[in-house]
Amino acid sequence: MDRLSRRAFTGLGVTATAALAASCGRPDAGTSAGASASAEPLVDGPATGSLTVWAMGAEGEKLPELLKGFQEQNPDVTVEVTPVPWDSAHDKFTSAIAAGTAPDVAQVGSTWMAEFVGLDALEPTPSEIATDDYFAGAIDSVTVDGTVYGVPWYVETRVVFYRKDLAEKAGITEPPTDWEGLLALAQAFQQKADATWGIALQPGGQGSWQSLMPLIWSNGGNVVDEAGTAFTFESAPNEEALAYYQSYFTEKVANPAPADGVTEQDFVSGSVPMFISGPWMMSAVEALGGGGFADKYGVFVMPQKETSASFLGGANLGVFQGTKNRDAAWKLVQHLSTPEVQVEWFGLSTDLPSLQKGWEDKAVAANEKFEVFRKQLDTALAPPVIGTWEQVAAKFDAQIEEVCKNGLAPADALATTQSEAQGIGTGA
Amino acid sequence: MIERRRPVLTYIVLTVFLLLVITPFVWMILGSLKTQGELLRTPPTWWPEQPTLDNFRRLFERPFGRYFTNSAVVAVVVTAGNLVLSSMFGYALAHLRFPGKRILFGIVLACLMIPGLVTFIPQYVLVVNMGLANTIPALILPFLVQPFSVFLMRQFFLGIPRELLEAGRIDGVGEIAIFFRIYLPLAGPAFATLGILTFLGSWNNFLWPLVVSSSESTYTLPVALALISTGQNETDYGLLLAGATLIVLPILVVFLFFQRHFIQGIATTGIK
Amino acid sequence: MTSSTAPAPASASAPARRRSRRGGAEARAGLLLALPFVVLFLVFTAWPVLQSMIMSFTDMRISDIRSPFAVNFVGLQNYLTAFEDPVFRRAALNTAVFVLLGVPLTIIAGLAAAIALDKGVGKLRAVFRVGFYTPVITSIVAVAVVWRFLLQPENGLVNTVLGWVGIDGLHWLGDQRTALLSLVIMAVWRNFGTSMVIFLAGLQAVDRQLHEAAALDGANAWQRFRSITVPSIRPTLLFVLVTTSIGYLQFFEEPFVMTNGGPLNSTISASMYTYSQFGFGNYGVAGAMAYLTFLVIAIVTLVQFRLMREK
Repeated sequence: MDRLSRRAFTGLGVTATAALAASCGRPDAGTSAGASASAEPLVDGPATGSLTVWAMGAEGEKLPELLKGFQEQNPDVTVEVTPVPWDSAHDKFTSAIAAGTAPDVAQVGSTWMAEFVGLDALEPTPSEIATDDYFAGAIDSVTVDGTVYGVPWYVETRVVFYRKDLAEKAGITEPPTDWEGLLALAQAFQQKADATWGIALQPGGQGSWQSLMPLIWSNGGNVVDEAGTAFTFESAPNEEALAYYQSYFTEKVANPAPADGVTEQDFVSGSVPMFISGPWMMSAVEALGGGGFADKYGVFVMPQKETSASFLGGANLGVFQGTKNRDAAWKLVQHLSTPEVQVEWFGLSTDLPSLQKGWEDKAVAANEKFEVFRKQLDTALAPPVIGTWEQVAAKFDAQIEEVCKNGLAPADALATTQSEAQGIGTGA
Repeated sequence: MIERRRPVLTYIVLTVFLLLVITPFVWMILGSLKTQGELLRTPPTWWPEQPTLDNFRRLFERPFGRYFTNSAVVAVVVTAGNLVLSSMFGYALAHLRFPGKRILFGIVLACLMIPGLVTFIPQYVLVVNMGLANTIPALILPFLVQPFSVFLMRQFFLGIPRELLEAGRIDGVGEIAIFFRIYLPLAGPAFATLGILTFLGSWNNFLWPLVVSSSESTYTLPVALALISTGQNETDYGLLLAGATLIVLPILVVFLFFQRHFIQGIATTGIK
Repeated sequence: MTSSTAPAPASASAPARRRSRRGGAEARAGLLLALPFVVLFLVFTAWPVLQSMIMSFTDMRISDIRSPFAVNFVGLQNYLTAFEDPVFRRAALNTAVFVLLGVPLTIIAGLAAAIALDKGVGKLRAVFRVGFYTPVITSIVAVAVVWRFLLQPENGLVNTVLGWVGIDGLHWLGDQRTALLSLVIMAVWRNFGTSMVIFLAGLQAVDRQLHEAAALDGANAWQRFRSITVPSIRPTLLFVLVTTSIGYLQFFEEPFVMTNGGPLNSTISASMYTYSQFGFGNYGVAGAMAYLTFLVIAIVTLVQFRLMREK
């Protein structure tokens, strides 16, 4: 069967050179960068030559400012930063990887890592770059099959936002710490503080797995095994977590059909005085709520079952295979991976440091709400690092929607997801 | 004459429809004068409470001229190319007999039907292999020839009687000259339509320029706008609406420029 | 093709020879006028299309682009995978509903607007034309924000108006029964301006004197529309019908920005689902889905050409 492919593709000629080197059909698995990948050591001395760097959105626009220090230390290097819009950034990266036009260094979305490693696009991290001070969840997000590719650049995690003033009105002065407490607070909002809904939760649809996974982890469950080679959707802890999530909708505590883009408004008006989200929501609700609103709301870490767990996001830095200036590329990454530079970056961008030492600086520790994020980061976990995760997650999202809106039994939803996920595979 | 029978009723109906139709457009312009806080509110406000030009000020902190020039060069060349190449080919398909005509038209029509998604990567790899990655020509060349344009021009020329061609031959006008001297001057309305549609398509094109451009020097307006307004987790709606408002202005100008030609009737230019 | 390339017989009479010389000049002119377009077209469109077609018969993934010989030829497997995927089937059904409702509405609205604005309404014509065209040029983001507000369950404009006449509003976009319908109306609103512009050009081919003569003979507006306007704009009508159908069969943007395919896949379209397969890197399956869409489009177009009686 493999032998058929040559004739079929003689006319294709996507690249002329490929034709010369081609042996046809797929090679046996495991010959490319995999578990055994290791990195060459870096050459000593300052970086030289030229580098191209891609970074997304505001990060891309502010990065040149941050790189001034790097260029002072390495006067013979020229760095060109291209800011890439977040919108469709994934399409741009995959096209570039496909055509061999990827940059030397780039910001890489945390859920893209395994996919890009699977495409042989990223270089393993050389041992000169220390990886011991990163948050555990962050380092997990750059670890594929036991090999570290690139470094975590900045992190974010999700916590519970709630209206402190309305909670007091409902007679609750201490933020809840466990699952029962969270549900009780949501119900109290509805019964005693005139809230329409107790909490805003996503009833399925794109990205709803990000809301559910913390509960699954919190209950000791997971959806892939330790090695990242098999799916484990069907388990008692997972089922219990999904049933708990479902109960918010069956008990009419959360709206099963919320309108789009009203979270901030509903939070400020008090009609839905609680939601789960990341640090960027602070400025959004404060911009809408006006002066003094910052004192009306609080944040607390995700409620625990066995543990408290949350979703860890952010972005990583990667060096691309095929870079013509590997040493300089890694030295640039190394420069960005020091606590001082991360604190400077926080000042420029408000992106939270991925290094624990970065949080010791006063600038980062000044805001008391950040303390909660800091605490959550210790227990926040990265999404499964498998190449097909986005595809599996889309199937999971669809089943979560069935559970929340159509009352599908959690066990059935997990069984369906499991079989669909097995059909897709882990991409390993 | 007949149309003026009940002008008042026509006016009322059209005006009601107009109001329904332009609401989002007006809201976009008004929204560009609002703060982020006001834009996040539901239900949205209609008039800005504290009108501000801050969004535009922040927009013009960028090298807006560069993006504008890139977009304009690409859109003008693409539009001109489509008008010229498609009218030539469209006329030939409509009125001339030549070998391979039906097959060529069939292939062109088939390519019109193939979802653009599927050819995206092969097209990109092609452009890279031609050494055109990250250049302005790469933003232009693939769009110079569009099946849509040729189909439109063909259908338009089919609507112009073939008798003009025969008459030209009797007068001893050469085959090519018949096209340029007799048919092309009649193409005003079709040119106007095709001009507007291709300009709009090129002006708003996002994914291709995003993928092909790897430095800010070749970014077009939509790419730059996406870059500055949309973050990883949040959107700066004020900036986005201000940019969308600015982006639309040239299209309005082009529309007003071309639309005069809609009324250039064929009946008045020599056909009985 | 065969008939026009056949050489004229040697014993042809003088007029026939003149005709064939004419034919030669005509063919040369045709080829010359076609050449610039065709050359660019073959390189930048036809060639990538050919590659993508072959791709749909292989197990190609994104990682194979640079070494295309390392893929396996899988025959119709990708097409079977697409057929067996219940989400794709649902997406195809949604797309069909969308086309069947959206295409006629868009064409009728566009034609009505074009006729109203062709000669009538005096000096304000230009204002109306620009006004009716604004939905086409307004940024999709602004459109999405405004439409979401219009359709909001609690304080949206539509439900507020319905409330005045005592009708309980629905959650238009959140309800499986109405989400797709809402998107159809939105798409018609967004797209009728394009067909209006094309019809405006096409209407210039209508003979005004014929209209006036028929009116004097007592033909009413509808009769004149049927027997004078429609035949004159037949090529334009065919063009708008074909291109609108193609556009709607590739329906993408509205669900992408408004509902993301939800609730419960009730608005997911074939193009959207295909796009997500590309995003996942499954080029073979995505290609197969795209070519299935193409096949449907081709059949629909062929039927339309037949119905409009063009050879």
